[in-house]
Amino acid sequence: MKEYILDKPLTEDFLKFLEQFGTVRFLDQLKKPYFSYEKEHFISIKGFVGDSNVEVRYKKESHDLVGDYFHLLLYYYDQGERGISALKGQEDSIRKKMKIRVDPMPENGI
Amino acid sequence: MPPVLQSEQPHLIYLNNAATTWPKPHEVLEEVAKCLRQPLHEQGRTTGNGSMDFPSAARETLATFFHAGPPEHYIFTQNATDALNLLIHGLVKKGGVPFHAITTELDHNSVLRPLITLEQEGAISLSVAPFTDNTISLTAIKKAICPETSLVVMTHGSNVLGSLQDIKPIAEYLNVNDIFFIVDGAQTAGHIPVDLSDIPVGAFVFTGHKALFGIPGIGGFFISEPDAIAITRQGGTGTDSRMLTHPSDMPMRFESGTPNYPGIASLYAGIRFVTSTGQDAIGKKNNDLTRFFIRELKNKPGITIYNDAPDLPVVSFNINGIDNHEAGYILARAYNVITRTGLHCAPLVHERIDGGKGCIRASLSWFTTRDEVTTAAAAIREVAESADTQVRSV
Repeated sequence: MKEYILDKPLTEDFLKFLEQFGTVRFLDQLKKPYFSYEKEHFISIKGFVGDSNVEVRYKKESHDLVGDYFHLLLYYYDQGERGISALKGQEDSIRKKMKIRVDPMPENGI
Repeated sequence: MPPVLQSEQPHLIYLNNAATTWPKPHEVLEEVAKCLRQPLHEQGRTTGNGSMDFPSAARETLATFFHAGPPEHYIFTQNATDALNLLIHGLVKKGGVPFHAITTELDHNSVLRPLITLEQEGAISLSVAPFTDNTISLTAIKKAICPETSLVVMTHGSNVLGSLQDIKPIAEYLNVNDIFFIVDGAQTAGHIPVDLSDIPVGAFVFTGHKALFGIPGIGGFFISEPDAIAITRQGGTGTDSRMLTHPSDMPMRFESGTPNYPGIASLYAGIRFVTSTGQDAIGKKNNDLTRFFIRELKNKPGITIYNDAPDLPVVSFNINGIDNHEAGYILARAYNVITRTGLHCAPLVHERIDGGKGCIRASLSWFTTRDEVTTAAAAIREVAESADTQVRSV
């Protein structure tokens, strides 16, 4: 688990970006609007819209492969629409490595 | 003297006292500072004088507090986990073969893990007694006993359900049947009066950083028959240094190396604070506030309470539709209410009460105020109401 302090507060727009890649849960009627993000096999994120602090948990089994994933999210978010497809490409590459780890000798190759 | 409170804003509502009490009494912090200002009085190890002999003073204080002696039978360890490891491994090393041990579903990993490790190593066989109505009965212990049973280890108070265990009849039965009984008093010492002159335990384990108001890193145990436990740690004791084997005199039998003087000083001052405040007064206030807190949450939409009549100031609950870790995070970061979430190192209790998913635990101390409890309960209700109705996609 890591706690990050970002340069600027998190926005709802960032959550819309996150929804392209995983499941976002948003509780906007709390004292502070809370969100969580879950991406299976990759990471989970907790935080509040309007806050600069986020808590990121990496999936233990693939920690070395997804250690930079949160940074990739931030980087590609800044690139707008173009960033969505670019990050999806990066994800495919990470997934292939995960698959090799789970099944190093697949019958039909990858 | 008031406790030393936080100096930074915002005001934290600290409800994680079953893990570590906070704030600490002013007297405790002063005693630690005093201890560190003086050269350490190391009995047998120094020619200095004029400093306070905190280990001896603390042992005397413990013997008075728990109504059992002699003071040398109180051993200092890092915490309750350390004490339990020392006792369990020492007893099994000394014990015969086959060795059967019993523990309970209410117990903490500080008990379960050493026992299960020994079981996996083939050193012991193990039975786990179930709880009924949040308590372990003598009947449940009796059912688990077999001819090879040499040890029973059980908690005095559940750290999840806040239920006090009636250890006296169990201790009497085990004593008559020559079965060693280790009681884990981590959750009870300081909260309720413990009279070891009236309960024939083999060993009673305590920790300093919870209701005895010491600092983290100090705990210990009382042992009635030290010879029952093999020496598993050896080192310098400041005595019998010509001997190359570890002395068996108490308390050196179980203590070696430089002690945790600031921790021992904090324990000494913490027990004095509890005694001067009055255990009855502490118990009454904790009980009243805990009841009030439960009333504020009970039957409210979206809240499930697992222990609505605890003996100790511990309330375990979940907020429907929201993971306990998330709820704890929201309470801490949005409302400054500090709780403990997850399994509380007591996985077998959680298997029974919430299917093993864990819960949120709010635990109070002498320093918790009614205003804090009111505010915390309102925050929990607000999260529950929001979680129930306001989940939406962005």
